[in-house]
Amino acid sequence: MSDIFGFPQDREATSAAKVRALEALLIEKGVIGSDSVDTVLRHFETVAGPFNGARIVARAWVDPAYQQRLIANTPSAIAELDLPAGMAGAEGEHMAAVANDAHVHNLIICTLCSCYPWPVLGLPPYWYKDPVFRARGVREPRAVLREFGVDVPETKEVKVWDSSAQIRWFVIPERPANTDGMSEAELASLVTPESMMGVALVAPPQA
Amino acid sequence: MKLQHHLGGIENLGPVSLETRVFVEPWEQRIFGIHTAMMAESAHLADALPAYAVKDLPTAFKSNWSWASLRTGAEDMQPFEYFKYRYYEKWLGGISQFFIDAGYLTAQELEEKSAFYRAHPDAALPDRPSAPIAAQIGAYLQQGDSGYHPPERAPRFAAGDMVRVADPAAVDHTRLPGYLRCKTGTVDAIYPGHFSYFVSTGVDGIGRPMPVYRIAFKAADVWGSDKSEPNTTIYADLYEAYVQAAH
Repeated sequence: MSDIFGFPQDREATSAAKVRALEALLIEKGVIGSDSVDTVLRHFETVAGPFNGARIVARAWVDPAYQQRLIANTPSAIAELDLPAGMAGAEGEHMAAVANDAHVHNLIICTLCSCYPWPVLGLPPYWYKDPVFRARGVREPRAVLREFGVDVPETKEVKVWDSSAQIRWFVIPERPANTDGMSEAELASLVTPESMMGVALVAPPQA
Repeated sequence: MKLQHHLGGIENLGPVSLETRVFVEPWEQRIFGIHTAMMAESAHLADALPAYAVKDLPTAFKSNWSWASLRTGAEDMQPFEYFKYRYYEKWLGGISQFFIDAGYLTAQELEEKSAFYRAHPDAALPDRPSAPIAAQIGAYLQQGDSGYHPPERAPRFAAGDMVRVADPAAVDHTRLPGYLRCKTGTVDAIYPGHFSYFVSTGVDGIGRPMPVYRIAFKAADVWGSDKSEPNTTIYADLYEAYVQAAH
């Protein structure tokens, strides 16, 4: 882990006290309820999260026609699945999927902020929000991918998707080898958020 | 022009973070939750797609609060501070300052209350749940807030057109990544409909509904052939105000 997270303990305690004070004042002044923040957080534990994206990817792997529909019209293909209500909700109003294959590797980025497809992937991990990733990902994506442990040969095109307007992108990663006999649910358990943003490949199941 | 508008392409920053956690400190969840509750209560949702009855919501919050508010705050920071503070530290600073500037609370109140919780970190929060606010948060998270509008006119450019990215005057907040200014690319797709932005960015050009293009840039055309990796394409979604004819 980067040492930028190794701040003196006091820095975190100060921020923790400030955010608690802010929440307390907002409750006292009737801006939010004392259950408002927990209502938000519960949504990202139960409704919106990478568990949805993993199911979408697994379906695309087992059904190539579904994958085609997913790329052509992402919201409509997502609506075919029995996912929680709200897949077109906040930060999912306009989503689009792109697929990795033998010729193309996709990388999703938001150089200006941290746009991310909440309903299918939940909240963005730290690496995605880090200014270093956002600065370097568009200029030297292969070098960045190598730091994540992904080596993309020069014969493969790298497509970088900078989320600068309404679309929130996600990647359909390549299906790993040795997964022929696996069920859709077993396949979904292999899919990570990182693989759906293009900085990781999906690892084959451990023997 | 601010460094934050030109983050894409900065060199010599060292290795990327490999941290896969969403929150590295428990307090970060709380500021994320406060921001999202503000999004769900924002006055502009009365006119959004879909429209929400936020005017009737029993909350003291009567302001507009969208991603543009948070982004403007981050882009308004002193650039070195921008790199100094961690992601949610920027949120905590920006949101706290907003509530002070908008008159919801005073700096002194926040300072005194912070000192209290610094001395008593386990002291409870006030217990005043609000079912209507919780319901509105749920509705907003499930239905979202789109800038989509039916098209009012034809887009100025067609798929396959060579276009040049505009170079508008620098403003508080933009959706034009700085590294694309004055670069030439090809229209890859035009999104159906027109899209508004949450706020007007003035001379920068966005706010009112307009077409949005997906534009493909060869990496060599952006960074130079000797400074870019081979076989790489960058796609950016750009509002029409940021797009000009190539010739």
